[in-house]
Amino acid sequence: MRAHDRPQTRRAPLRVAVMGTGAISKEHLTYLAGRSPVIPDRGLVELVGVCDQSPAAAHYAADTFGAGRAFTDLADMLESASPEVVHVLTPPASHVGLATQCLQAGAHVVCEKPITTNSPDLDKLLEIAADHGRQLMESHNYRFNHGFRQLENLLNSDRLGPVRSVDIRIALPVTDADERFGDPNLPSPIHQLPAGVIHDFTTHFSYLLLRLTGDVVFDRMATAWSNHAGLAHFRYDDLDALLIGNSDRGPIHARLRFEADSGPDTFAITVRGTEGWAEIDLFQPYLRAVLPRPVGSQLSPVANHVINGWQLMGHGIRNLSRKIMQITPYEGLHRMLDETYQALTEDRPVPVTPAEMLAASRLVDTVVSDQFRF
Amino acid sequence: MASNNSDDLDQPGDGRPPGGGHSLNLYISGATGFVGCHVLAEALRRGHTVTAVVRPGSDFRLPDHIPHDRCRTVSVDLRSRTGLADSLAGVDSVVHLAAAKAGDFYSQFAGTVTATENLLAAMDEADVRQLIGISTFSAYDYLNLPAGSLLTESTAVDTHPALRDEYAQTKLLQEELYRQWGGRSGNRLVVLRPGMVYGPDNLWHALLGADFGPRFLRIGSKATLPLTYVDNCAQAIILAAERLDAEPDLVDGETINIVDDDLPTQSEYAELVSARTETPPTVPVPWPLLDVTSRLLKAGNQRLLHGRAKFPGIAVPDRLHARFKPLRYSNAKAKRLLGWQPAYSTVEAVERSVASMERRFFPLDELTPATTGRSDRP
Repeated sequence: MRAHDRPQTRRAPLRVAVMGTGAISKEHLTYLAGRSPVIPDRGLVELVGVCDQSPAAAHYAADTFGAGRAFTDLADMLESASPEVVHVLTPPASHVGLATQCLQAGAHVVCEKPITTNSPDLDKLLEIAADHGRQLMESHNYRFNHGFRQLENLLNSDRLGPVRSVDIRIALPVTDADERFGDPNLPSPIHQLPAGVIHDFTTHFSYLLLRLTGDVVFDRMATAWSNHAGLAHFRYDDLDALLIGNSDRGPIHARLRFEADSGPDTFAITVRGTEGWAEIDLFQPYLRAVLPRPVGSQLSPVANHVINGWQLMGHGIRNLSRKIMQITPYEGLHRMLDETYQALTEDRPVPVTPAEMLAASRLVDTVVSDQFRF
Repeated sequence: MASNNSDDLDQPGDGRPPGGGHSLNLYISGATGFVGCHVLAEALRRGHTVTAVVRPGSDFRLPDHIPHDRCRTVSVDLRSRTGLADSLAGVDSVVHLAAAKAGDFYSQFAGTVTATENLLAAMDEADVRQLIGISTFSAYDYLNLPAGSLLTESTAVDTHPALRDEYAQTKLLQEELYRQWGGRSGNRLVVLRPGMVYGPDNLWHALLGADFGPRFLRIGSKATLPLTYVDNCAQAIILAAERLDAEPDLVDGETINIVDDDLPTQSEYAELVSARTETPPTVPVPWPLLDVTSRLLKAGNQRLLHGRAKFPGIAVPDRLHARFKPLRYSNAKAKRLLGWQPAYSTVEAVERSVASMERRFFPLDELTPATTGRSDRP
């Protein structure tokens, strides 16, 4: 019996399958196997199959994570394992076709980013999902990270005041030859995206920025795309984008930076409001907030230094513990999946909504377009 | 070792390798790697024709003195099937050396397991039926092997390698693929498991210890090292290819360990290398101390943290034992089945390696028409 033929009872465990067993599959499969280091096993899912065009990869994943069966053909897996949810974890260019196949077979789809290479394709895919009464969700994993949620809570408390600027900076040595994208021998399919490797990160930039700024319309923009290392298989290895827009609480400036030639690895977000500012790093988690403290304006700077110093020491100890306990920056992905499965088992909307996905995708389209380049 | 005219590429003679048999058309993956370039040189020296696999991003070029009718390069990446079967046209045997030794698990999986899967599928397509599959000493189950045991080909391999390093895990998966392929009708397979291969630029290696800040922890100085000098190892690999072709009934399906004759202890080897090259300042750490510490950590991790904590490799017994447990080794099977006799002693091998590093000597450089035999041998 195929998934869409079954009665629509929403009881755990849901039958789940995974399409694609590359590096990111480890995080999805760890959660699905009930082995997440940050989320206890709630018995929400049953891993019924994994599929990869490489039989060795499919069997390895099935054996390692206790999946019911290994497949090398998606149609076969949809027919034989009858999953209610499929995680599509293949290269971006294949997402539309594979997700469509899953939705048409009656399965909900959780898809790695970017779910499509442009927003019109996402529109169509969402239509297909709606037509089949299934949910479609793109992984916006970093917004579920503990540090980002702390930052959101701080914003929601209004202690920073209305947001005036957001700076998101990713530094990763993607051009190194021993890194996944730097390998010149068999260039990653990611290089085929319109903005190459950095395109893969613009989804993160976009959904994080929109979470922090709300319904802002960025009507002025300047983007500088560079290939500083000059590697032939790279379109770009550096992005410097400035966005200016208006919200109902005033103007907002945003800067999005991707750099391959600075270290150490960084995923830093700084938010400045009218009353104070805060910064986090998702790779080496910490939160530093400079706020008006209840000791008066004269002593607030001193209080901020003392409080932040104390808290930074605490973050240092926690990060050592995280390292030992193998809690990586993908902790947010585990939390996202857990919230997704809680929603699906209770027949509620998944935590990343179609509207959020479309807004992020449209912002990506704008950032990577030629319209604002200098 | 006696001078050997087959080093002279102008005088390939009747194309017969020394010791009989006919000249083979060998396909060598990983031909530009540390071991691969020595295997390539040995294959040419012994009169074979070689197709050398070169990765597309490589700037490797065959030296001008290598005749093009004896050696050609093909530019393919084994992680993709594109062009693989075509590149195998006319090949008698494959010597599969390519593997990923660095990167995360998935990078090593792609470079070792997927690459092997693709190569074997392409061999089927091209109807190539002979394979020398290069595995590793890392395959064995060291944790359950008593200290002082004799490690041979019949020693159990690790069947629960989840706590081993990525290299061991992926090489074990690769061996499974070799066995599946070798078990099919008409296919011939020899699996070679070299010990630690050392040579130029790889004299100070992981069996000596581990980096610890500016110092180097020397762990278990009394243990015998399962070493094989790269030229000795290359000779064994080519002998295996020749023997599989000439006497398949003798070696087909066999697994053969490759270690040299005069295996030194760790301290003997370290002294030998330190006397001839710059080595890092070392701090000796007794094997029993680290063994007990790592076992306590593992027990605590299992009991208190459900095995979720991750410690450095030398603090994980499964990995520690694979590198430093004192064992004994044998190369009797390699000698018996392949007729292999390691040409260079450990002292000669270290000196030869140092000389190569000083002269920036590339293995194929030895094959100049003017060269006869191993005239650069000290």
